[in-house]
Amino acid sequence: MSIAETIQSIGFLADLRESALVYPVVMTTHLVCIAVFGGMIVFTDLRLLGLAMTDRTVTDVVNQFRTWKRVGFCIMVAMGILLAASEAEKYTPNPFFWAKMFSLVLVAVHALVFRPTVYNNTAAIDAAPSLPGRAKLAGALSLLIWFSIMSNGRLIGYWEGPGSPGKPVAAVTHVQGH
Amino acid sequence: MFLAAAANPLNASELVFPTLEVIHIVGFAVLVGTIAIVDFRLLGIGMRRQKVAELASDLAPWTLIGLTMVLLSGPLMFSSDPDMYYLNRAFQVKMVLLLLAIIFQYTVHRSATKSEGPPLRQKLVACVSMTLWVGIIFGGIFIAFI
Repeated sequence: MSIAETIQSIGFLADLRESALVYPVVMTTHLVCIAVFGGMIVFTDLRLLGLAMTDRTVTDVVNQFRTWKRVGFCIMVAMGILLAASEAEKYTPNPFFWAKMFSLVLVAVHALVFRPTVYNNTAAIDAAPSLPGRAKLAGALSLLIWFSIMSNGRLIGYWEGPGSPGKPVAAVTHVQGH
Repeated sequence: MFLAAAANPLNASELVFPTLEVIHIVGFAVLVGTIAIVDFRLLGIGMRRQKVAELASDLAPWTLIGLTMVLLSGPLMFSSDPDMYYLNRAFQVKMVLLLLAIIFQYTVHRSATKSEGPPLRQKLVACVSMTLWVGIIFGGIFIAFI
């Protein structure tokens, strides 16, 4: 038995995969988190770029969204792990899945690189006469990484690789219905 | 209707539908994200250093951008296979909720953000708003599972 097969045959993960209701509910929760907390990430980035909420200080925007972004990120990842683990055999050969995982690694790298100089340094950014280049760079890169996560996540459902029959990962039925 | 689907140029390329879906998902993240931020504020659980009205007017143009993205990509996706969507119960529910949510957003929700109304009313408005949008996302997911 492959690792993927072993993972997805764990009792509750198999139940999840086969449930007509729980699987879509978990997926909806994943998407609601993407919208709500992804929205906050997007607005933090747009503020750093000087494109949105410019009446508010960077400190205000970064600090007030921070807790919720963390809460949302945890729920989003937890739901994502459930979704991926319950269909492990289908996800492991899927290149879009790995592109998404790689993008998530980039999120961590981004945080390590920019946290000291941007996200934990907002008072200095607000005091500067104009938005410093590194703040804009942090915002722009973060937007790019999150766009990659969202689009690759969506495209996971479109990859028809070897041995991927069964329940659609997502809205694949549209395409197959043509 | 079947002929309409077959003749639709959207169905000529395998890339069009996934591209529309990406636009749709980014659009809905911006749309629902901005509304949720205001709802969190109405509930008093986030962004409390801003006035509701300030936050709402900051985010309103972005809500509109998100709404435009989903309302452009959505009908195009619908046109790729109208029969399937039209007859899909989840899709029907989603459309009813979407209509309600848009009306609610630009009437009750908007007036709640403009006035510093009684907290209970504000909270109720936020709950209704979030329930409607979550319902829409749920309906959208369920289209593929029904």
